[in-house]
Amino acid sequence: MSLGAELHVARRYLVGIRRRTHVATVTLISLAGLGIGVFALVVVLAMLEGFQSGIRAEIVARAAHAELRPAAGRRLPEPDRLASVLQAELPDVEAVQVVRGACLVSSAMDAVPAPVVGRSDTAGVVVDQLLARRLGVGAGDRIEVVSARRRLTPMGPLPVRISAEISRVAAPRPGSESGTVILPLGRAQQLLWGEPVVEAIELRDPADPWRLAQRMRVALGSDASEVEIAGLDQLHRGLLTALALERVMIFLAVGLMLVVAALNLLCNVAMVAAEKRKDLAVMAGLGFAPRSLRRLFLVLGLAIGVVGSALGAVAGTVVAVVLDRTGWLRLPQGVFMVPSVPFEVDPASVALVMVVALALAALGAWLPARMVARREPAEGLRYE
Amino acid sequence: MSEARPLVEASGLGKGYGAGPTRVEVLDGLDLEVASGEMLAVVGPSGVGKSTLLHLIGLLDRPERGRLLLEGRDTGVLDGTARAGLRNRMIGFVFQHHHLLEELDALDNVALPLRISGEGSRRARDRAAELLEAVGLAGRTAHFPDQLSGGEQQRVSVARALAMEPRLLLADEPTGNLDRANSERLFDLVSQLHLKAGLTSIIVTHNEEMARRCDRIFRLAPRADLSEDV
Repeated sequence: MSLGAELHVARRYLVGIRRRTHVATVTLISLAGLGIGVFALVVVLAMLEGFQSGIRAEIVARAAHAELRPAAGRRLPEPDRLASVLQAELPDVEAVQVVRGACLVSSAMDAVPAPVVGRSDTAGVVVDQLLARRLGVGAGDRIEVVSARRRLTPMGPLPVRISAEISRVAAPRPGSESGTVILPLGRAQQLLWGEPVVEAIELRDPADPWRLAQRMRVALGSDASEVEIAGLDQLHRGLLTALALERVMIFLAVGLMLVVAALNLLCNVAMVAAEKRKDLAVMAGLGFAPRSLRRLFLVLGLAIGVVGSALGAVAGTVVAVVLDRTGWLRLPQGVFMVPSVPFEVDPASVALVMVVALALAALGAWLPARMVARREPAEGLRYE
Repeated sequence: MSEARPLVEASGLGKGYGAGPTRVEVLDGLDLEVASGEMLAVVGPSGVGKSTLLHLIGLLDRPERGRLLLEGRDTGVLDGTARAGLRNRMIGFVFQHHHLLEELDALDNVALPLRISGEGSRRARDRAAELLEAVGLAGRTAHFPDQLSGGEQQRVSVARALAMEPRLLLADEPTGNLDRANSERLFDLVSQLHLKAGLTSIIVTHNEEMARRCDRIFRLAPRADLSEDV
């Protein structure tokens, strides 16, 4: 059965709304409600995406993209061979051998426990800003790093310690709350192990950071089963999970606006159904089956849904893009990583919002439509 | 007497409204037969159930008791879609208050039953234009109901009722809202079309003069005290 007659009447109801101000008003209110809901969701999700992609970009810029760890214990077997296999298979990837431990780091002013990392790509001693501030030191100052490892001396067992001049103060790693000392690999091995142990190989591939772990598995072949390979999502699981959770919760919270808009649409379509009670009875009299009356109201609801959500999505996208480019929403310096609120419109999010809005609009129209279809036509004609 | 089966056969029809102490029995045990090609007038005081009877025969409502057969087919067993199909193809309605759709112009109002039946837009509109011409409204096709006089609105309504070439025309006080001259004109039009199209017509009216011009008068009295004049 064709939809011709239902579409024809629905179009006349919507296009001919100038002739009936009441229907026009309730239609516009429904449209505005749904449009504002979609607009708010698109803008909020774009803002969230802006912040989150900033955080993700920060992780990609500063942290390792993948890590090769021993499958068991702390010593990575044959680190040089594994590193050379990786370098041969993935020539664009930077591979750095590392050891990690915790030491007591002291300056003339203070002594604090801090993580120590030995890296094969570091020549000097690097202290991050957090630790430098706590110790009151800068480039050129000397620090002493005391290991938990002890060595037997004529005076008995004494902790292994080194004294070094700070060559650089670096920005902290994303998510790092305690300061870190970075040493050349050899010195750190001496301090922490007393032998050339490598605990992990960190890899970076700025061209394709999120799939590096997968490519490493392919590159290592049978060696991959003897080591553990952690990708970006595993290395930053906590932070990335929190970001994803935040996204879902915001979608649900702001999505409630859409539910309210759909309820408003339901009320308005029900009002139209009440007002058009006589017309519907006449249409039924002329041969509209209950199914066709249901379709007529679904078409009305979906038309409001399509126009409302399209207007909301376009307006939301435009506002998000304009706010992102102009940077009108400034943020306090020193608190946030970015100077103004960033917006990034994700087409998939916009599509999802529109689908949800349309589904809710269809549901909002379905209930009154069902009510209309259940009535005998004479009910609408009886009280003229 | 014709040997052919009556187009409308109602037996023991009953219908009431409300529940409990406020319930009103409108029709109770009504029997009626309308022969094919007959023009029947239904008369009676207000509230006696004339419109209810017309709604039951027109499948706009379901009786609580009794049986209604149209062309020998029991309508009680039909579902909503089948009843709608029968209303579309077999029955034409003319209501007292014309009941044209405000958002559609005269042409679209007349074309609507054709569109509902699945007819294409162009053919439906061509047929509607012919019908409007037949009821003397060729120049009013693009007018909306509120731009037409009462008599014109009712003529559009007659054209709409005949759009699907129905076999049964049901008119509920079609001249109730018209002055004497317009009432005469409309009744003449309905009578002509009734003969020309070979319709079976049931006309509810308060107008005794008009009722007498029909083939038969069916009088509805309170408490189903029924009588017939031929």
